[in-house]
Amino acid sequence: MSAKLIKAILLVEDEPGDARLIREMLNEQGSHSTELVHVDCMSAAERHLAECGVDIILLDLGLPDAQGLGAIRRAHAAAPRIPLVVFTGLDDESLAEQALQEGAQDYLIKGQIERRPLLRALRYAAERKRLERLKDEFVSTVSHELRTPLTSITGSLGLLMGNAAGNLPTPMARLLTIAHTNSQRLVRLVNDILDIEKMEAGRVVFNFSRVEVRTLVAQAIEANRGFAEGYGVRIRLEEALAGADVRADPDRLLQVVTNLLSNAIKFSPPDGEVVVAIKKGADVVRVTVRDHGQGIPVDFRPLIFQKFAQADAGDARQKGGTGLGLSIVKQIVDRLSGEVGFADAPGGGTIFHVQLPCWDHVASLAIDPETKPDATRLLLCEDDLDTALTLRAQLRQVGFVTDFAYSVSEALARAEATQYHAILVDIHLPDGDGVSLIVRLRELPQYHDTPIIVVSADTNPERDDLRSSKLNVLDWLNKPVNFDRLVHLLAKSVVRNANRRPRILHVDDDNLVARALGEIADVVTVNSIEAAQRALKAGDFDLAVLDVELAKAASPDLLPELRDSKGNAIPVVVFSAHSANLADDPREQAALAKSHSSIDNLVATVRDRLASRLASVSREMI
Amino acid sequence: MTDIRILLVDDEPDIREIVDVSLGLDREFTTRACASGADALVTAAEWSPSLILLDVMMPLMDGPTTLANLRKNPRTAHIPIVFLTARTQSSEIEHFISLGAQGVLSKPFNPMTLATSVRSYLPPPVTHHAP
Repeated sequence: MSAKLIKAILLVEDEPGDARLIREMLNEQGSHSTELVHVDCMSAAERHLAECGVDIILLDLGLPDAQGLGAIRRAHAAAPRIPLVVFTGLDDESLAEQALQEGAQDYLIKGQIERRPLLRALRYAAERKRLERLKDEFVSTVSHELRTPLTSITGSLGLLMGNAAGNLPTPMARLLTIAHTNSQRLVRLVNDILDIEKMEAGRVVFNFSRVEVRTLVAQAIEANRGFAEGYGVRIRLEEALAGADVRADPDRLLQVVTNLLSNAIKFSPPDGEVVVAIKKGADVVRVTVRDHGQGIPVDFRPLIFQKFAQADAGDARQKGGTGLGLSIVKQIVDRLSGEVGFADAPGGGTIFHVQLPCWDHVASLAIDPETKPDATRLLLCEDDLDTALTLRAQLRQVGFVTDFAYSVSEALARAEATQYHAILVDIHLPDGDGVSLIVRLRELPQYHDTPIIVVSADTNPERDDLRSSKLNVLDWLNKPVNFDRLVHLLAKSVVRNANRRPRILHVDDDNLVARALGEIADVVTVNSIEAAQRALKAGDFDLAVLDVELAKAASPDLLPELRDSKGNAIPVVVFSAHSANLADDPREQAALAKSHSSIDNLVATVRDRLASRLASVSREMI
Repeated sequence: MTDIRILLVDDEPDIREIVDVSLGLDREFTTRACASGADALVTAAEWSPSLILLDVMMPLMDGPTTLANLRKNPRTAHIPIVFLTARTQSSEIEHFISLGAQGVLSKPFNPMTLATSVRSYLPPPVTHHAP
């Protein structure tokens, strides 16, 4: 094992046998400098990555909470700078290839892993990732540095072309045109490189809004008309459905349509025609761009959305492309929760299509269809649809119902119309800052004390404006969200619903305690074991508070009976006048001596136990 | 003839020259150029330009620092400032505006329309009739 590159490995594998095998292989030559951390699910991996640095991730693609490419994306999102080696099944070569495209550095086939190839894969993956990182930094720096001389060159040529220096003789003007056109192309290339680099690094902020596709497409066609004329190509908008609105970032969508158009123009024969159409499906709007070119060579099809992909380098140079246009299209469309693809056009040529979610469809998704009146309803203020849908699915499994607000204004409108039990706020929203949203929510009397959790990709939780006690933010979670932590926070803070408060069985004869507990739960106080047993038969309790002297005097065996109707043990908080009587019984969740504890202390303990119980019940359900 | 004074601050001599010619296409503009933030502080106070066109990445004193210093001096605090920069990601533009800039123009720029763009950031012409 190369001690220089790899000191800590995170193994994400749910099969104990496979995990053991890997561990043995890695330990074989007694490399003490390498530490192996093993977790058995993606959320545990995310938690570990949020807290500890590792040098490489070994990832099984069939985890209980993440599979296939989804697992890779989550690992990549949790640690974009850490090299990744994945395990795939024997018969899944195509998944392996996709894995590499999604950013894994290497793959190993399960059942065929041997020690030497494993170690080599780890070393190479680490080295490959290091080079990738260097390349990205290099690209970013160089691209910025290139802009300065480019500014001088395009500026000088632009002034000469604009006759700012007086009229020029024709042959000189012709040469200047060549220099000017090519300097412009160089600018486009630098812009494209920067764009793709920023998108890959996840540093592009998308501002979603309602976009009328017809207007936007018409705008793109207009902007490309001059370019098309240069190639002797016409652009025709064949079918333009009005009122086809999508949810997108208009600038980025314009970039998508522009790139598809310029691509179609470049590959059209002279006097050819590019045909654009807008169609509406049930939940999607589809824009198609058809050219009458040569079609895409079969060999090239799998590579078409890759960076610098060009069917024939010589051909592409002749076309004046950068080889980045379609790759940018793919990156943007993915972020817009859409889909891009292509097909042979009947009669020759190619049809590219982009499909995006309809505005109405996205708007209808905002309200969780779950209608149970006693459901715990959360408001998630998040403008990324995929993130919102994923979180809703996860939260649903632990019994929460989640509505979405895609903007600050929507969030305020929804919060006023519905009383939410808790609110999750992304800091980056299209029409404002999440902090200003929280300020305005706190101004509404009904949200004065509602738990608010910030969920953000912004890695700077030290923002002073968020620490303000006025905002009363419960916690700040970085994306990707550590789901266990979120559930724990919610369970701890949310009064699950107004109609069903937690129920406590209080076996004691102390009225003061009963009254204090009554503040946080419905309390059934009994002063004998017989009465407690009757109460247990009559209904479920979330927690029991026992006076140990009273309980033990009557029946030392009451504890095993403290179960809810599903047979789950109920947490017990034991309270005693004498600390000596507090036996170390594993069934007791907490033991407090009356002499040492105030009633407030007891209430705090009880509140905490109720929260952990809720969280553990939630975890069992995942 | 109305005199609209534009002060350009950029450490690249070639860019200073091109901006000078570009702005010269508008006959009402008089342009002066400084090669550093420190020079700009002195010239701005003496010459009272109508607008300052400010580069971002400069050695010693960068654009944002120059802006902050200009704002501190009562003689230059009111002068509109437009950044001329190669860094024009939307988040960066927002950042520059939050510093108190009137606008951001990107490099490379179109030299034939630079003067028109700069004009759009000038305060209303009333100020020219002031004594």
